[in-house]
Amino acid sequence: MNMYPERVLEIASGIREMKIRGAGRIARATAEALKIAALSYNGVEDLVLFKKYMVEVGELLISTRPTAISLPNTVVYVLSSLRNSSSFSEARESVVKRADNFIRESEEATKRISLIGAKRIKENSIVLTHCHSTAAVGVIIEAYKQGRVVRVYSTETRPFYQGRVTYTQLAKSGVPVVQIPDSAVRYIINEVDYVVVGADTVTSNGAVVNKIGTSQVALAAKEARTRVYVAAESYKFSPLTLIGELVTIEYRSPEEIVSREWIEKHPRVKVLNPVFDVTPPEYIDAIITEYGVIPPQAAVLILVEKLGWALDVLGYSEGKLDLKRIVAL
Amino acid sequence: MRKLTGSELVFNILDELYSITIKSGEKELVKRLFELKDFILNERPASMAVQNILRQIGLYILEHGFINIDKYIIELRERYENSLEKAAEIMSRRIASGEVLLSNSNSLAVRRVLKHLSERGKNVKIYVTESRPGGEGLLLAEYAESLGFEVYLIVDSAVRFFMKNIDKVIVGAEAVASNGAIVSKIGTSLIALVAKEARKRVFVVAPVMKFSPETLYGELLKLPEYDWRSLISEEEITKLPVDYKARVPLYDVTPPEYIDAIVTEYGLFAPQAIPLVLSLIEKPITSPGRSFEEIVNSIKALIEV
Repeated sequence: MNMYPERVLEIASGIREMKIRGAGRIARATAEALKIAALSYNGVEDLVLFKKYMVEVGELLISTRPTAISLPNTVVYVLSSLRNSSSFSEARESVVKRADNFIRESEEATKRISLIGAKRIKENSIVLTHCHSTAAVGVIIEAYKQGRVVRVYSTETRPFYQGRVTYTQLAKSGVPVVQIPDSAVRYIINEVDYVVVGADTVTSNGAVVNKIGTSQVALAAKEARTRVYVAAESYKFSPLTLIGELVTIEYRSPEEIVSREWIEKHPRVKVLNPVFDVTPPEYIDAIITEYGVIPPQAAVLILVEKLGWALDVLGYSEGKLDLKRIVAL
Repeated sequence: MRKLTGSELVFNILDELYSITIKSGEKELVKRLFELKDFILNERPASMAVQNILRQIGLYILEHGFINIDKYIIELRERYENSLEKAAEIMSRRIASGEVLLSNSNSLAVRRVLKHLSERGKNVKIYVTESRPGGEGLLLAEYAESLGFEVYLIVDSAVRFFMKNIDKVIVGAEAVASNGAIVSKIGTSLIALVAKEARKRVFVVAPVMKFSPETLYGELLKLPEYDWRSLISEEEITKLPVDYKARVPLYDVTPPEYIDAIVTEYGLFAPQAIPLVLSLIEKPITSPGRSFEEIVNSIKALIEV
């Protein structure tokens, strides 16, 4: 039984296979997929059946990557409107509207973060960034345009080399950028004034879940008294962690690190490929959100004030992410 | 020779010099010593064991001429081999069965430690970092696997993620400075910092030949850097912006405060005790005042005169 529109399946597998990557792009693609699913629904025009269908699409999308909170946050944001819909057409319309809203707001958020974050960087600074983050790159490019950045070190970021994406984007904007291997972070950190990274998930205590290696970059920065800024849109804050949920760290295929032949030749070597790590709040100087610069320990403020709707909604589902209860099924 | 570890380079060079001595005579030997001096200065300026070995050979020639130089080279090789074995054996005593180790790169000293553990029937698990650039970690993982140990291969970025699971970090060194700092494969200092944060012990296995006498006299160790060629292939680079820039340091410096012990053939010492260790052992490498470069140069002069 394959009743999902092809484009929705494409987006889902794109996220799973990391063709679509980065928490922000994943979130916008998710909203887009929900909108497409709603618009191309061709079943019986019945509110309950439509809700069931949207819940299934939502669950499919959430299942693609386990760590990034932007996925469930987007799905909950878009689908929670179904709770108060009283007819099929109203329901469909509300999904489309919410999805459009989300996409627009998230793009605006990234822009606002660039402007706010750039102000935090003093003139003639050297910046280091790890992996690829649209929000972090936005901050760096904006700061460069304002004459604040003279050089950027970008880690190549094994196993997927997202640093090469960062390098390309910065170079295209004219930012002087130098790639370094991940192992050279401590070697280079004395030259660096600011570390600017993105986030996949911000927990309620202000810990930041981001690309593997971020926590040791932050540790090396702390040791060298180099400031660490995390650029993160509010939809990366995790309401689930406020109610005690742990963030699952995704392990991906060993073949991202070594070739299949190598793995087969070495059966007793286990290749472990965790994709994210957790940077504790004490290694982060500030989180830059579209609402302003906050100390990581104040993450809960964003959660309560800006993601209050999500907390309410989670209340309906009794502390577990249960889309059926969220849409009042 | 770029890819060889510090100790492998020592053996390689000694074997080569021996065969030159036997087959081609002293002029060729001096010529080769001179070439090696340039190679070391340009490509492996931190490779202290080779510098010390070349200095020893140079001092021998200055003192005794070329009589029995072949025997001396063999003696040096044996001494180095014994020191490596002894240091590895001492390290292996500090490791209990069931412990979980972490190492990077493909240090010969670390491999000898694993061999001793295996011979004593101590079963350990070992995490090995891929160790970019170069990726020598894969070789260490293969070796540890061949000894029957359980091996986990991780990317360099995942060290802090897994440090909780580790009992001891064990690494080799390219050089040991007189303040107890070590020069080792790039990334070692980050691993040591992460270990310190997690209160895990860090051991450096290094024969005394790796000690740098020059640093005692204020000399700074030189650390080479390569460019993008060590990170990416000619083919892949076409996908990146033209003029792709990279800095690829090969070694970094781990400060003594992140090292719990340096394990030598003379025993296991606090890194801060290195000057004392140097003063206790026989003359060879504490004698300088003259760098290996000067000594090799003066042999060349000797031959030309």
